Amino acid sequence: MGYEEAMEQTNEELKQLIAAGKRVIGYIYPHTPIEIILGHGLTPSLVGTSPGVTGAFEASLQTFTCAFARNLFSQRVNDQLPAITGLIFPGNTCDSLQNVADVWRIRFPDDNVFRLTYPVADQSEAAVQYFAEEIRILSKTLEETFGQPFNENEYDAAVTLVSAFREAAQFLYASRVLDPQSITYANLAGLVRGFLLSPELGSLSEIEAIVHNVQQHLMEKGLLQDAKKLQKAILKGNLEKVEISSDLTSLRIAVAGGMVEPQAIANLLDSIPEVTDDVMVIDILSFGFRTVFTPQPSPPGNCFEQTARSILNAPTEPTQEGLPRRVEFLKSMLTKLSIDGLIICEQSFCDPDQFEAPSLEAAASEVNVPSVRLPLDPELSDRARLEVRIQSFLETLHST
Amino acid sequence: MSEDKKEKAYRPLQTQGLLQQLAFRHMLEAHAASEDGKLAWVTSGFPVEIPRSMEIGISYPEQYGAVVAVEKMGPLLCSYGEELGYSQELCSYALANIGSVEHPDESPGGGLPEPQALLACNNICGTVLKWYDAVSQMTGAPVFLVDTPALDSEQQPHHLKYVVHGLQKLVDFLATTFNTSLEEERLNQVAEFSTKAVDLWTKALKACKNKPSPLNSPDRFLAMTPVVSMRGTDYCLEYYESLLQEVKERVKQGLGAITKEEKVRLLWDNIPPFYQFRFFNSLAKRGIVFPADSYTHAWSGRIEGDDLFQGVATLYSNVYLNKGLDAKVDKMCQLIKEYELDGFVLFSDRSCKRYSLGQLVSKEIVSEKTGVPGVVIEGDHVDSRLFNEAQIQTRVDALLEMLI
Repeated sequence: MGYEEAMEQTNEELKQLIAAGKRVIGYIYPHTPIEIILGHGLTPSLVGTSPGVTGAFEASLQTFTCAFARNLFSQRVNDQLPAITGLIFPGNTCDSLQNVADVWRIRFPDDNVFRLTYPVADQSEAAVQYFAEEIRILSKTLEETFGQPFNENEYDAAVTLVSAFREAAQFLYASRVLDPQSITYANLAGLVRGFLLSPELGSLSEIEAIVHNVQQHLMEKGLLQDAKKLQKAILKGNLEKVEISSDLTSLRIAVAGGMVEPQAIANLLDSIPEVTDDVMVIDILSFGFRTVFTPQPSPPGNCFEQTARSILNAPTEPTQEGLPRRVEFLKSMLTKLSIDGLIICEQSFCDPDQFEAPSLEAAASEVNVPSVRLPLDPELSDRARLEVRIQSFLETLHST
Repeated sequence: MSEDKKEKAYRPLQTQGLLQQLAFRHMLEAHAASEDGKLAWVTSGFPVEIPRSMEIGISYPEQYGAVVAVEKMGPLLCSYGEELGYSQELCSYALANIGSVEHPDESPGGGLPEPQALLACNNICGTVLKWYDAVSQMTGAPVFLVDTPALDSEQQPHHLKYVVHGLQKLVDFLATTFNTSLEEERLNQVAEFSTKAVDLWTKALKACKNKPSPLNSPDRFLAMTPVVSMRGTDYCLEYYESLLQEVKERVKQGLGAITKEEKVRLLWDNIPPFYQFRFFNSLAKRGIVFPADSYTHAWSGRIEGDDLFQGVATLYSNVYLNKGLDAKVDKMCQLIKEYELDGFVLFSDRSCKRYSLGQLVSKEIVSEKTGVPGVVIEGDHVDSRLFNEAQIQTRVDALLEMLI
């Protein structure tokens, strides 16, 4: 299935949810406290970019607005966004989304636009307390807007649901590192997207069924325990004791970046002749790895504190403080997971991506891993150039 | 030479000489601090009173970026930043600074002196953290971020508490990095200097309500240098005492910043194209003056209250750029009304998303609320490659046709 078809199918599924009477709250930033939203009996749904959107932002936004934000805005102008009941923007993550939220409120005054503001400094417990209060305020606003109070039992059920999803997706990520053929990257990206689009038991069951099959597959290969250990190590952010078999003959690449759709990357790889997505061993993307490897909410504290702590302990985003840690983690991923090459995605006019890219490139070079930078946008403009660039890169790796 | 050619469009400020001396002094102090291992680079919105009261030398890469632009070296230094792998789409203050760190020998004054710490506050934009992270990798100087999350409305207690905590961590960081300590008495003194200087600056700004306006935008863009980069020093305070005196004298004598009779009074929004002040001068020849702008008015506000940390946290969290589009629109409308302005120019600065995104919408709202017309022109504040003079002239002329 092409990328555009996949995203259209995603939107169709979302429309069905809405038609079934679900009140869907869209969100943009991956680290949104979906457990809290579920705790209100609302359905949180990750709003995605649309590759086929016609640009319609020019009356409101300059062209140097981040391509990601422009795409979402254009969808809204063109009435291409599903009929979500509200939309949560992140605050204090990047200047584009900060300002676009304000423009959105003015241009679409009837939309329910919310903002959840994140701490970006590494201030440990002070940041948790600040963020917990921001989440509590969001919760209160949701209640006032929709008349649906927060329910602790629904929250607990949501934590169980989301934790189960993350556990399953983490395992699949780990299994692909050891055996990329255990599940295609496209399939994994689709499963993650599917759950974030509609976090409910149906989508969880689907991923858990696949986990069962993969577990069987790995058990037959004697890799099951290794996969579980690797999952734990990645979750802890400590790969020191990880050892990948030296029996690897196939090319192994990783993809890094920010808010790029994993399905877009999968689709690009699939489009390249004689390349399968087996080469793609792991991504370090916001809507993939960083969302999946978020630790689950757990005590101490009330539910807002637990959720805040969970989100703030996820792998840090390029929008946050912590570049040296991200660089060190990348180097350990590249060396410990036996990565042969790194693709660095840069969303057009995305300050976090574009500032971080040279550092990631330098990090890869330090550990003797070749890299290539891929400037792109959600529409995958100039797709042929992107495919050629990846293909050339892979050919270079093959020949060395 | 004809009389027309000899007559300047603007009236130079007598305090210009003093300003140059202060800039030179500031530069020398920074170099000395760097040699002593006691220099920090700070962002323009950083609560500088704290490091200054801990006797740490201060340099401002943004202010240096303006110097780069004035020296017309923006394209060169930005290109060096691009050669290091940074996209041309990024902030030109950052690109030029990164380029300057890599090639100090080709930078004005040999570049900024080497820092031992990089102090960023994101109340002006989110880019600063990423920029300083990049410089940290080049220089080895550690970064400290004072996180002031953008405000949608009034600052809430939990926000204030979080920012105060950040300031306390800042003190610890500076104490450890520079082997120094914070004395409350010294902080009080620095805060007082800062507040008094800002008060005087604000009075000078308000004097531009007069007709003719004693200051034009280029005057203010230059005169703001001390309040941005020397805030908290006694000599900054002395400068604004002199400036205000000169401004008051102009008002008393009915002398405007421009030599021609004022025909049109406009508001300027955003950072200016520092390499192209002749844009303002050519308008001045036609009797067009800018008595107010959102950029220089951003340096206002006092540190208040018995608890200095809370006062600092409140002031720096509530700066103009840290608030939403509504606040920006309100400010522009207020300036247009109070300064009796006939129109406004929104400079869509490609480098500055925090300042620029939203201008296309605010143009409509401000016009509707004030009844005056506005125009959007495009460019960049440091990278002159992005300034299309002819296109800008056409748009501004279209605005002026409505007003003259």
